[in-house]
Amino acid sequence: MAIGLFLSGAMMSVMAEKADPSDWPAYGGSNNGQRYSALKQVTAANASRLQAKWVYHVDGASGMEQTPVVTNGIMYISQFNRMDAIDARTGNVIWKYQRPPASASAQRGTAFYNDKVFMVTSDSHLVALDARNGGIRWDVKSESGYIISGAAPTIVRDKVIVSGNRPNGFIQAFDVETGKYAWTWSAVPKPGEPGAETWGTARPQGGPMWMSGSYDPELNLIYYGTGQPNPQWTGFERPGDNLYTECIVAINPDTGKRVWYFQNTPHDTHDWDSTETLVLVDAVFRGRVRKLLLQANRNGFYYVLDRTNGEYLLATPFVSKVDWADGLDPKGRPIVIPGHDPSVRGTRTCPSTAGATNWPAPTYSPDTKYFYVTVAEGCGINFITSSTAPDAGTGYIETSDAPWQAYVRALDATTGKKVWEYKPVRSNHYGPGLLSTAGGIVFAPEQFGQVTVLDAKSGKPRWHFNTGDLITASPITYAVDGQQFFAIASGTNIFAFGLQGGNP
Amino acid sequence: MNRAFGIAGLVLICMIGPVFAQRGGTPPLVNPFQGKPEAVHEGESLYGRHCTGCHGPNGTAGEIGPAIVSGERADFTSNDAQVFNIIRNGIAGTPMGPQKLQEEKIWKIASYIHALRGTAIDNPQPGDATHGEQIFWGKGRCGSCHMLGGKGGLTAPDLSNIASTRKASTIVSALTREQHHEYGSGGVHLKSLSPMDSYLPAHVTAADGKVFDGVLLNQDGYSLQMIGNDQRLHSFDRANLRRVDIEAKSLMPTDYDKRLTPEEFKDLIAFLTRQGTKPPTMASGTQLRGEDQ
Repeated sequence: MAIGLFLSGAMMSVMAEKADPSDWPAYGGSNNGQRYSALKQVTAANASRLQAKWVYHVDGASGMEQTPVVTNGIMYISQFNRMDAIDARTGNVIWKYQRPPASASAQRGTAFYNDKVFMVTSDSHLVALDARNGGIRWDVKSESGYIISGAAPTIVRDKVIVSGNRPNGFIQAFDVETGKYAWTWSAVPKPGEPGAETWGTARPQGGPMWMSGSYDPELNLIYYGTGQPNPQWTGFERPGDNLYTECIVAINPDTGKRVWYFQNTPHDTHDWDSTETLVLVDAVFRGRVRKLLLQANRNGFYYVLDRTNGEYLLATPFVSKVDWADGLDPKGRPIVIPGHDPSVRGTRTCPSTAGATNWPAPTYSPDTKYFYVTVAEGCGINFITSSTAPDAGTGYIETSDAPWQAYVRALDATTGKKVWEYKPVRSNHYGPGLLSTAGGIVFAPEQFGQVTVLDAKSGKPRWHFNTGDLITASPITYAVDGQQFFAIASGTNIFAFGLQGGNP
Repeated sequence: MNRAFGIAGLVLICMIGPVFAQRGGTPPLVNPFQGKPEAVHEGESLYGRHCTGCHGPNGTAGEIGPAIVSGERADFTSNDAQVFNIIRNGIAGTPMGPQKLQEEKIWKIASYIHALRGTAIDNPQPGDATHGEQIFWGKGRCGSCHMLGGKGGLTAPDLSNIASTRKASTIVSALTREQHHEYGSGGVHLKSLSPMDSYLPAHVTAADGKVFDGVLLNQDGYSLQMIGNDQRLHSFDRANLRRVDIEAKSLMPTDYDKRLTPEEFKDLIAFLTRQGTKPPTMASGTQLRGEDQ
């Protein structure tokens, strides 16, 4: 009944690794990126009894993309420069923190650790707030003028890690207790550093990092995806693979040094970032238990890597049309089909720049051993304004002959084979992310405001609710006083759902 | 009358830009006294001499001129240079005539108006802020309830950003007057939710007889959130509570002008009116959206 929110450091170090399933303390639920919850009060059989429990309006927000976090019955909702703490059972506000200036820009969330919640600001500060009353515990500026993006901070052991895009993709680590700066890892090398030889004579640029990372405490490695090389649409000035853009990288959180990398799309000219959520799973792969890293990449391929060393194990398309590569070679390098670079006339490529999927989170269920992901079937046409001037790109349009359509797909996690798909009628772009639970369901909101619960085994819908606004965020689940809740940001509101019943 | 004044003011503001452009290279006017407390205080006495007659004390409206400090008129957001131009040139078609004052004096009046409109961080009060900090943690015992800069208590609001969210006069009121809440305008048609009854002393008895004492953070008909004297955040389902008592009066003393010497009080205010984050000068936020497409 009474919820204490005061925990000793010793207790928390255990919790960080083995979180109470009642809580959702990080962007991905936990640091393994699975977005799987052991809560099972809501099942495929009783999901039809779900109902809205409360709605919390985030005044001044617009098109929220953030995942709230919940610990000990308190929900923390962050935007740039702002945090609201509310009672996760009733939606009643407890405290609000607002740092000037007010900002309505979308931001992806916060992170909880010990007695603090962390927020990034629009002027590149990292602020630690006291979770009990919103008091400022510390407030630090990013190191060396780096610009922090709106990804939710990632907590790894004694560090809080933020990321950004400028001057180039980077992650930066700070001491979780004091805010003291620890290190920076940059996605592109300086001249003379390893990887610089993959840029011709061009200065390495790009590799934006705008998503949260994943962490394996046993290997003590953090995993991040990096974005596209710059200039993004024209590749002729930067011949080579353009390391470490479009990569999955493993970094030692104590030192900030890269341990391994795997490049999904060498020499990218379509702005397919490799920033999609990295899902860490221990599973039997070809007869042997392995520590796997799974990713559905914007370039259309579903990847399975060995996360101890980055070894490529498998990749297979998860959308029907991937026309830029004829599969991958044994090392996982795409066998590129020529003629897909953006052109002045326009070049059709499948999938589009928006991607076969994007940042909305996938989920993995250890019960079904399926990887669930929201995908967009569709092609794009990429243009440049000049075939000789660098950075002459104009982006892309969607193909008109083949309208886009979104799906929620269940893939066999170790083969990438499609098991089932659910078609959210009218949704043509990926919008929201997913989560799965021990109750055998996938919580699957849709782009145009429909919130749907799917049967994790069959993909059949079991319940739906219309929030009345677009959804471009990923859901969470948590429990308070024995009741399981689901929550999702839609437009300017947070909605919470639970089974019927309880006190009046 | 007020409306006509407002529109005329707007027209003038809109014309300032092109005037600079025509002069070709004349830089925009910048207040040479920006952020200087002494100029604000000189501006206050100049305002009293030249402006109070029409606009009333502290810009709160007089018999002839409208309020110039708070409200919803567009020209309340005019910057110091625009205020400077209005004072120097007047507003045609209104009783606001050109004021024959030295430029320096006009700028000081503009500084004062800026300070009236802004929060305390724009208007830091004179005094020894270092000594004020000692008073905060020492004789004033403010830190036993309030948190500031990551230290202090939990049973009162965090003050790390107080100067960015309150006017200097509000901070002084909070320390010296029992009724100091500023709920803003709007009457019965409030445009935002009413303030929470935060930080009132609360005593809660659970169904099992266990008693929790502390301060309220929020409540509704079904739940109650408080910080206990145990320094924990508690959230209760009211159905599980036997008794709830909320005291009507905050624990915040309102006689600091008597508890402290005039010098100590002045220095404490000097300290508090410097605790805050200045908004970044560039409009930021929009550019920082994740590159997700």
